[in-house]
Amino acid sequence: MIENPCILTDVTKCIGCEQCVTACKKINGLPEGDAPPRPGNSVDGLDAGRWTTVIRQPDNHFVRKQCRHCAEPACVSVCPVGAMQKTPEGPVIYDKGICMGCRYCMLACPYGIPHYEWDSANPSVRKCILCYPSLKSGKIDKPACVGACPTNATIFGTRDEMLAEAHRRLAAEPSKYVQKIWGESQVGGTSVLYLADISLDFLAWGDGKELTDQPLPKLTWAALKPVPFEFLGMGLVMGSLYWIIERRKKLMAEKAAGVAGGGDDHGK
Amino acid sequence: MENKRLFLFKGLMWIVAGLAAAVAILRFALGLGTATALSDTTPWGLWIGFDVMGGVALAAGGFVMAAVVHIFHRDRYHAAARPAILTAFLGYGAVAVGLLFDLGLPWNIWHAMVYWNIRSPLFEVAWCVMLYLTVLALEVTPTILERTPFQKTYRFFTRLALPIMVLGIMLSTLHQSSLGTMLLIMPFRVHPLWYSHLLPELFFVSAICLGISMVMLESCVTTWLYKRKPEMEMLSGLARLASVALAFYSLFKLGDLLRQGKLSMVFDGSWPGNLFIVEILMSALVPMVLFAIPAVRRSFRGIWILAACSVLGFVLDRINASGLSQVWATRQFYFPAWTEFSISLGIVAACVLVFLFIEEHFPVDPHGLEAVEAARHTQAKALPTFAPFVQVWLGEGWRKAAKVYSFLFVAALAFGLTVAPKTEPAVKTHAVRAVGAGILSMGPGPRRVYFDHKKHQDEAGGTKSCALCHHLHQKGDVGTPCVICHKNMFLASDIFNHDAHIAALHGNASCAKCHGEGQPLQVTPSKKCSECHTKDLMALNPVVTTFDKKWAPSYKDAMHKMCIPCHVTKAADRKVNLPNLGRCGACHDGGTASEKAYKTEVPVPQEEEGRT
Repeated sequence: MIENPCILTDVTKCIGCEQCVTACKKINGLPEGDAPPRPGNSVDGLDAGRWTTVIRQPDNHFVRKQCRHCAEPACVSVCPVGAMQKTPEGPVIYDKGICMGCRYCMLACPYGIPHYEWDSANPSVRKCILCYPSLKSGKIDKPACVGACPTNATIFGTRDEMLAEAHRRLAAEPSKYVQKIWGESQVGGTSVLYLADISLDFLAWGDGKELTDQPLPKLTWAALKPVPFEFLGMGLVMGSLYWIIERRKKLMAEKAAGVAGGGDDHGK
Repeated sequence: MENKRLFLFKGLMWIVAGLAAAVAILRFALGLGTATALSDTTPWGLWIGFDVMGGVALAAGGFVMAAVVHIFHRDRYHAAARPAILTAFLGYGAVAVGLLFDLGLPWNIWHAMVYWNIRSPLFEVAWCVMLYLTVLALEVTPTILERTPFQKTYRFFTRLALPIMVLGIMLSTLHQSSLGTMLLIMPFRVHPLWYSHLLPELFFVSAICLGISMVMLESCVTTWLYKRKPEMEMLSGLARLASVALAFYSLFKLGDLLRQGKLSMVFDGSWPGNLFIVEILMSALVPMVLFAIPAVRRSFRGIWILAACSVLGFVLDRINASGLSQVWATRQFYFPAWTEFSISLGIVAACVLVFLFIEEHFPVDPHGLEAVEAARHTQAKALPTFAPFVQVWLGEGWRKAAKVYSFLFVAALAFGLTVAPKTEPAVKTHAVRAVGAGILSMGPGPRRVYFDHKKHQDEAGGTKSCALCHHLHQKGDVGTPCVICHKNMFLASDIFNHDAHIAALHGNASCAKCHGEGQPLQVTPSKKCSECHTKDLMALNPVVTTFDKKWAPSYKDAMHKMCIPCHVTKAADRKVNLPNLGRCGACHDGGTASEKAYKTEVPVPQEEEGRT
């Protein structure tokens, strides 16, 4: 399996046939039909049984949405038990055997990718895993969605190759594209890149206005790093306060006893 | 004399608990989807916002009172310390139980102990809650043991009390603030009015305020339930303390908004802005100002109303930050299902019942216990009176209570199971929403054509063949009728945009680029489209051959030349056995009866008829 695998999707080439969706469902053994609609669930068409989808945008643009496989994924960083894992090669995968079902990953993902099997009594978090097991075992040489694309709108290679190809296309046809590679640097870079002739900011919550190039896990780590010191510091402060106050009370009691010749030991 | 108020209150609690038990069965049998209104855009709802976020904050009274009484030696609040610590213990127990409902795989909850991810704030919260629950259990133990024969053990635990208290305060500091840390990673979800890099600190300070208010409210409620004399000295002292703490919190919260330049967002009249105003007024500003007035502090009613107001305000803060304010980002409405409310209230009811049980049997509040025991004693000593039928039937004292309460519980459980939502049979829809399956009717009015998409896709080579017809990578070919581009039925090159080409090729000087140097500016002496559009046009393919021309085809030509050659070939093929396939009526409306024969083999769905 190649290091740092990456998908480049060129929105200008997509005809919206959804062959990628069918291929994805097949290789991952997902139910053929879509899940029954659940209020609030399908903002973009993704659900627990549909790991990639094609979003229609005005003027007949088609944008394929899938997990971005971030370089520093928020979902991996927030999982309290490490059920979401960033593999050494790059794809972000999920281990149901470890998961407790807290669904923090679903909230932490800026793109709203992890979905839940709401109708199951034994539910999993489901999302694109970049066909990791099949790629790893060499069963396929590119993800099923890429293999199924009839127009080569979505292609596969190492991240460096894909970035080079994207820059080449931007330079070759500058008037055709918005001069930006979505996923190049946002939240520290993702392994699914997009070229388009429209803005793709809508792929992230809040149109990505709150997202910077800084990886999201840094935000929590800044607060978590000093935790051991806060813990011990609080103990120290409380301990010394107790000691000071106790000692002061004792001295006052002694003083009172000295003055009055035996006061009551109220503090004890 | 029996306390009717208490009896009714407990009965109500048992009903609520019974209903929750029914929902609990439903939740574990059928999954979260049936029992909640949660969705992929709102994966955390009432159970996290109220039970966990709110529950932990509500139980903050435990560590606040431990610090006030045992570290700062404010002995006048001694009476409040034990109830506060007991509440904290039950509160954290409730959080743990609430989590069992909310977790998708609750039987894996122990994984937090085994699989570590120190970068997750939830990991830290989980550990702190586990440890603090243990610490609280140790803090509660002396209360339970005090009047038992196990005096040696009791003394052992009292000696242990101080280090345990300090450890409890240390742990509380951490996870009260870590609940805020949990939201730090979602600046894109949490509304700017609630999002701040100081969220951990804000959560810690607000937990202290809420803790004090909660201790007051609790004291008021037990006073009311057991018809005791209110401990006004302690309450007004706490109210004064609350006033100071709330003033600090308000300054901190508003100052933080000011620092970030978000203060104007509060007054912009938007839904989050108004929510924020309600929250800060309820939680902090109103109680802060009124608690500062001595006359209010002396009034029992004033104290319980303001304490309740503040408690509700802070719970609203937790719900806002962890859920309600996120509606702003997802634009998806979420309102908890009644089943969610039922579980939340049921857990609270169970806690209240356990609290009252301990209050009545162990020296949580020594004076209170004596009063309860005295009442029990007089009741037992009282001379037998004439017993009405109900009393004979139900018995007295605990027998009556057990009968009535268990009946209420079971009745509520049965009612809950009857009305609880059941899963509906799954409705399957098509996986691929591109017009892949059915028979389409395309084209304008009388020239409408019936077209079996799936059949053509299969013929042309299956899934790889989309680009053969959906050519030019024209966006929206799946949903766009051909006439959108081929506007004129009969005019060749009607999709050719001359102006756009001139503009793209830099003005009038560019004529020769297509028409040739010194040639007349007509269609005939010009380049083929495919000479320039080597890639944008469709790849050479057996179905569409028309682009090897000097102009784009008319609509009629485009359709006819794509369809007819193949249809004619197939019509001649005996194996296909559709002799009329090559005739007009095979696709168009009208035509002779024999021509229509082909169409009748494939019934046209009614709803497709009107979609031209």
